[in-house]
Amino acid sequence: MELEEMKALWGQMSAEVEKQKAITDSLVIKMTRAGYRNKISKVQVPETIGAFFCAVPVLYILINIQQLNTWYLLGCGISSVIILFLLCFLSLRSISKISGVNISKNNYKESLLQYSKAKMQFVSAQKVNFYLSAILMLVILPVMSKLIAGKDVFKQTDVWLYYVIAFPFFYPFSRWVFKRYVKIVSDAENILKELE
Amino acid sequence: MQNKEAFIEVIKGNEGLIYKVTKVYANTREDAQDLYQEIVYQLWKSFDSFRNDAKISTWMYRIALNTSIAYLNKEKRKGNHLPIDDTLINKTVTHDTLKDEQVEALYAVIKKLDIVEKGIILLYLEGNTYDEIAAITGFSVTNVGTRLGRIKQKIISQIKK
Repeated sequence: MELEEMKALWGQMSAEVEKQKAITDSLVIKMTRAGYRNKISKVQVPETIGAFFCAVPVLYILINIQQLNTWYLLGCGISSVIILFLLCFLSLRSISKISGVNISKNNYKESLLQYSKAKMQFVSAQKVNFYLSAILMLVILPVMSKLIAGKDVFKQTDVWLYYVIAFPFFYPFSRWVFKRYVKIVSDAENILKELE
Repeated sequence: MQNKEAFIEVIKGNEGLIYKVTKVYANTREDAQDLYQEIVYQLWKSFDSFRNDAKISTWMYRIALNTSIAYLNKEKRKGNHLPIDDTLINKTVTHDTLKDEQVEALYAVIKKLDIVEKGIILLYLEGNTYDEIAAITGFSVTNVGTRLGRIKQKIISQIKK
């Protein structure tokens, strides 16, 4: 089929489609209202949950920081707070870049460029988040153990056994996580190449 | 919004445009429903900023195509799905079975193209001039011509397979 034939066929189909009026005034209003409600729920719920999971432990550690009475527990506490802040910041920043594309002002090319770049940044942020989460697991355990149970895990040798057992699982898990992002990155790179 | 009636008229007058964009970019019935709704919502959001010096269809294509890219790039989250009538997203094409099959084959070929090509071929088939396609997509007129040539080759090779 040549492009001109395709165009003719498309024209016939368009003429038929134009005859079939299905949308009503009330449906248009309902769609705009549903779209508005979706925006509110989509923006608020995941971001609120994410912020909550970061803010609660940060506040808990900061309020009880005087209980971290050794230099190493204090170090773990401060590291945990910094990592929790970074996790929250990096996730929200990459999400806001993806959502920040101006649909009414941008042309097709600009939108595609912005989305592709934002997606690649999102993947980088997810990788950083993954490693930060792994470090967080290490540093937050002694802090919470001290604050909740009053125990200094650095003085309990058996706790380190769990770290040793868990570590070999970390590598295949990280491979599995990053494999998920390979396609996203290669798709985004292809679009960028196509737009050059 | 001050101009509710005017907006409804624009949507009613161009529902075919929204239908075709949705049909090209969405792969499932649920996606088509969501995307259709999202395009109407984004048009409503931008309607006040629409200036009459531009053609209404140019403005609508721009918003509809950008919304489609955004929809494909966002993580799907369960939102407030409005159950919309199937006739909105699944219109009877013609009354000729052979033609219907040809149209479906045409959509299938377009769906296989990459996202850049999809937008350009859709605008071309919709009867836009190279200048209009360039204005909507942001590519130069020469680049639109070159890309259409490439798309043509791609489509021919796909049909031959």
